[in-house]
Amino acid sequence: MTAYARMVRPGLADCLLWGAAALFILIPLASFLIFGFFSVVSNSIDYRPTLANFDELLSNSSYRTTFFRTMRMAFLVSATNLVLGYATAYFIWQRPPAWRNLMVIALAIPLLMSYIIKIYAMRGVLGTNGLLNSATMALGIIDEPVSALLFNLTAVRITLSVVLLPFMVLPIYVALERIPASVLHAASDLGASEIQIFARVVLPLSLPGGIVGAMFTFVLASGDFLAPELVGGIEGFTYGRLIFSQFGLAFNWPLGAALSIVLMIVALGVIYAARRFGNPRWQR
Amino acid sequence: MANPETGSPAAADVGLPLLRIRGLGARFGTVEAIKPLDLDVNDGEFLTILGPSGSGKTTLLRTIAGFQPPSAGRIEFDGKDIADLPINRRPFNTVFQDYALFPHMTVRENVGFGLRVRGTAKAQLNDRVDAALGIVGLEEFDARYPSQLSGGQQQRTALARAMICEPRLILLDEPLAALDAALRRQMQNFLKTLQRQSGITFLFVTHDQSEAITMSDRICVMRSGSIEQIGTPRELYYRPKSRFVAAFFGASNIVEPCRIHETRDDATIVETPVGQFRISGPPPDSSSGLALAIRPEALGPEDETRVNTLELEVVAVSFVGSETITELRHRRTSQVFTMKTRSDPAARPPDIGSILNIGFDPAECALVTEAAN
Repeated sequence: MTAYARMVRPGLADCLLWGAAALFILIPLASFLIFGFFSVVSNSIDYRPTLANFDELLSNSSYRTTFFRTMRMAFLVSATNLVLGYATAYFIWQRPPAWRNLMVIALAIPLLMSYIIKIYAMRGVLGTNGLLNSATMALGIIDEPVSALLFNLTAVRITLSVVLLPFMVLPIYVALERIPASVLHAASDLGASEIQIFARVVLPLSLPGGIVGAMFTFVLASGDFLAPELVGGIEGFTYGRLIFSQFGLAFNWPLGAALSIVLMIVALGVIYAARRFGNPRWQR
Repeated sequence: MANPETGSPAAADVGLPLLRIRGLGARFGTVEAIKPLDLDVNDGEFLTILGPSGSGKTTLLRTIAGFQPPSAGRIEFDGKDIADLPINRRPFNTVFQDYALFPHMTVRENVGFGLRVRGTAKAQLNDRVDAALGIVGLEEFDARYPSQLSGGQQQRTALARAMICEPRLILLDEPLAALDAALRRQMQNFLKTLQRQSGITFLFVTHDQSEAITMSDRICVMRSGSIEQIGTPRELYYRPKSRFVAAFFGASNIVEPCRIHETRDDATIVETPVGQFRISGPPPDSSSGLALAIRPEALGPEDETRVNTLELEVVAVSFVGSETITELRHRRTSQVFTMKTRSDPAARPPDIGSILNIGFDPAECALVTEAAN
């Protein structure tokens, strides 16, 4: 390689990378979001810029209700999964090393499966003739199948919790794995009990992983439309379904784009907050 | 004064050792990392466990600390068996090789950790942390996180953290291994002074024999999971019992086989392939694989103190600054010797192939056996 080529290469590589990012991510995104500033006039799109869509979002309470119900649902899924995910990650971390890897792989396998199949599987679990009802009936816990487990917001929450759990467990597990054994030994050596070690050393060192997991979960849950569509019924109408319906039934792309812009702002806000709090001062 | 028989300082005669280890063993699966061994650590001494990697020295320390369960034996501290005590109940603290500082705590929080988990009142805790930070010279760094400290500062934080609960014994696992040479020497002096002034017993692990010599009251040399020899630095340096210890402390000229020709009151006469020599002191108890170990710096031109003599041919001469290293060969047996002499600006180096009359002092060599035990 000549000296000239060495000098030029990094610049060229940078241009290509930024170019690719712009071409494949930013331009399509922008060209879609810009629809949020157009409007629909008698079934065709009017390309004159307007803020009418945002005005509609703010003034129509049904959009707001759906938005807040969805945010609340996503927050509850994140909170539930933070507890479940932390317990799962901690359990895996406590196993012998050979077990740990197997368990992490088992946890990651569902991520490679089709999303729709996973949701249908959950429908099979939650339905009146589903696994949950059959099992609890067989155990004599309930006498009649419970139908309240499907086609409502609870069903959406349960389904999203199950399907999104790996996104919580993996970052927490990675954070736990990163804690050197000597640090735990040092805590014990200095007289800390198991509970003190957990509260003062393990938890603070692994919580950043939990914050990253909560961010993933919240962003994915708040924008999801497939799970609510398939297990939510009428009760489980969410913001994701609202957006989806603008592109399908309602054929109102500009309103759909405007709804998406709002969701994206929320997601970026959550990601920013997670970066701030998930990356404490001692790590920088 | 040290007792020449056992190498124990006088403190040992006063009472029980602070730490008394009997038949302690440790294994990883089928591998015996420590073969059952005995060790006494006296109150107030600086005892170094020295050995190459894989000798079991770190495992021994970790077993004492409680990080590694023993497979056999007793660990008595101040007369009480502590082998079954959980780590957090053991009455001593550890300084780790990687320092093991809590990354999410400041220097102040790290140092105060041992007091905080004991529920020490805040005012008292702050005073004691200030005192500990003063001792290690880190007063101005108390608000920093470990990632913002240099290696030496991290080391001193770890030391202050281990000392805060005023243990009578501190275990140190190669604490200087990660420091550069200059800082290392500085920390050696600091540690030694700190140990002497505080009176805390130090059980120190290292693979560096010069570090062990400069810092320790006594050294325990380990090899393949067993104790090879325990003694003062001088004893190990001048009176190694085995080839391994001799080689570890730099007595690299090994002459073998040796046969004891005569035993006198103050000396032993041995017969070797390169001649008959007089060695100060009695012969070793065992005679299996008996050999003569001579330090490179003990060799020199024959004179009135270097009464053991040899005729050796010069093979190579290398000038390494303050010292000159000469490779020599015994013609008949082809035995090779290394001689280290002080460089003399006036002297002309000997010609390659020339024959020199080399001698060594009976007190500066040792009869060693295959293994010490």
